[in-house]
Amino acid sequence: MSTPPTNTPAALSIEAVRKVAKLARLSPTPEKAQRYQGQLSSILTYIDRLRSLDLKGVEPMASPLDATSNLGADRPGPTLPTSVLMDMAPQKHEPFIRVPKVLGDGGGA
Amino acid sequence: MAEIASVQLKVGLEIHVQLATRTKMFCRAPSVACREFDHKQSEPNSCIDPLVLGLPGSLPVINREAVQMAMMVGLALGCSIAPLTRWDRKSYFYPDLPKSYQISQYDLPLCFDGAIDMPLPGEDGRVNWDDYDTKRIGIIRAHLEEDAGKLLHEAPGGLPIDYSIVDLNRAGCPLLEIVTHPDFTTADEVVAFAQMLRNICRFLGVSEGVLQKGHMRFEPNINTVITLTDGRLVKTSIVEVKNLNSFKAVRGAIEYEFAEQPKRWQREKVEMSPGSKSTRGWDDVKMQTVLQREKEEAADYRYFPDPDLLPVVVDKNWLEQTRASIPQLPMARLKRYIDDFGLHAKEAAALVDERDVCFFYEECIAAAKQAGVESGKAGKAVANVLLQSGAKRANERSAGASAGSTEQVLISDLGIMPKQVGQILAMRERGELGSNAADELFGLLCEPGQAATDAQALAQQRGMLIVRDDAAMGRWCDEAIAQNAKAAEDVKAGKDAAIGRLVGAVMKLSGGRADAAGVREALIKKLRG
Repeated sequence: MSTPPTNTPAALSIEAVRKVAKLARLSPTPEKAQRYQGQLSSILTYIDRLRSLDLKGVEPMASPLDATSNLGADRPGPTLPTSVLMDMAPQKHEPFIRVPKVLGDGGGA
Repeated sequence: MAEIASVQLKVGLEIHVQLATRTKMFCRAPSVACREFDHKQSEPNSCIDPLVLGLPGSLPVINREAVQMAMMVGLALGCSIAPLTRWDRKSYFYPDLPKSYQISQYDLPLCFDGAIDMPLPGEDGRVNWDDYDTKRIGIIRAHLEEDAGKLLHEAPGGLPIDYSIVDLNRAGCPLLEIVTHPDFTTADEVVAFAQMLRNICRFLGVSEGVLQKGHMRFEPNINTVITLTDGRLVKTSIVEVKNLNSFKAVRGAIEYEFAEQPKRWQREKVEMSPGSKSTRGWDDVKMQTVLQREKEEAADYRYFPDPDLLPVVVDKNWLEQTRASIPQLPMARLKRYIDDFGLHAKEAAALVDERDVCFFYEECIAAAKQAGVESGKAGKAVANVLLQSGAKRANERSAGASAGSTEQVLISDLGIMPKQVGQILAMRERGELGSNAADELFGLLCEPGQAATDAQALAQQRGMLIVRDDAAMGRWCDEAIAQNAKAAEDVKAGKDAAIGRLVGAVMKLSGGRADAAGVREALIKKLRG
């Protein structure tokens, strides 16, 4: 686990936009990619302005809302029948969801 | 060209612990890691609800018990607990992840900056409890997240399929990810730490720690520091080995990488640098690691605060209550058993190995004291009876359990109650019960339906108590002497060793109810006057 990136350049290249789009499984048209480049860059520029402030001694804000989470009791509740999932699955091998062959055991965690 | 002079191993460990809550991390569908969860009865894709499936409109609600369990582990590992902790989305696409993101904790983890002293294993890979050194292992963080579903590559029954299938029962179950500093320098150390952590989690009651069931999964980050003959140091690039679920695999993967990385460096000349880290899997059959997909950099997961969840506040009250709920941990108990009860290190280690046995042992001590056993002796006396009469029967029952079953029968599961163990020891201390009779009585009390039986009454009813009857003693001695004339002559002639045979004969005649020390005395009096 690494620390959050701190050196994102304010101006975002079109390649960076394409990379982020690819990670999100989006394929924007060249026009849209260009539009996003402009929009994302202005957001990053704004973040850079915030960065220039001296925030020594200012407590980091964990959330823009003042409220905090209500926690749920560990008591089992209702479940959905497997058939509901089977009806939604594009492909199935009941009672499993069928997907294209993948190698390895997991993508993240 | 400089050659390799020496190689130093460096390992950090990531551990995923499935927390044994009854429901999932962010919804109330049943969780598969719960103690009461019946795997045999639950069909694949049955522990699901709208949140598990990532259906639109479903909203997460944090499981308080999971936060509590995570804090317990964090505190046991010497971590600080964040007063305010936040939830982030880690985005990636994979068929076992219905929402296409995992809720995790990124920059404000629940537990952080811990350290724990680990007893170091000796050269045989085991800790010598009579004489060991400790090593401090730093804990970077321990944070909560949710598990993914399970991908299967063959159909039930081992039928081959040319696609993969998904079971979402595990999806959304609470996971505690613990990350250590790279403080380990041998595979033995890593395995010893993993075993200690398993024991701690079991003691805290946050996990059963059954590795075969995936309750704990280990991911060592391994690299080596090579010293060349010209004095230059080379750090090989880090290899993360994913999803190891046995101690054997942990050891195997680390030893393999330790041997392989210097060779890999000689071939490829890749040194440690940002982005040089690679991910490998473990092949249990070939006993080697196998290259997997190149790991995405952290930024590629596009972490950002989950807009559906608010931060969690851990106030002082909750923190102190949690701290107070942590039982004394195995290491501390082991030391106490040795120092206060005078147990041998090996006996103490056998008793702290299982949480249930350990608690049962202490309940028996309390019961023994209550039954009148002298305080200073109770710890040792209970240990003796449990590790002899108890362990013997637990082993017999484990061996007798259905073939192929891995279920180990524990001393605490035999059926005998702490009060009864206490009564047996009190009778022993009062000289009312011989050692063979005590063992037999222990066995009787392990039978079904004996939980409410009074041990003293049962011993009386079965005629197991030592007979304090001088007339009977006289008769048994006379008979034994008549049966063993030669031994009797030898004793008369001053050969003490010969008396054993006579004592044995009396014990046999009495059906074990005579007091052995008394018999000896009576025989000597008869033969030598």
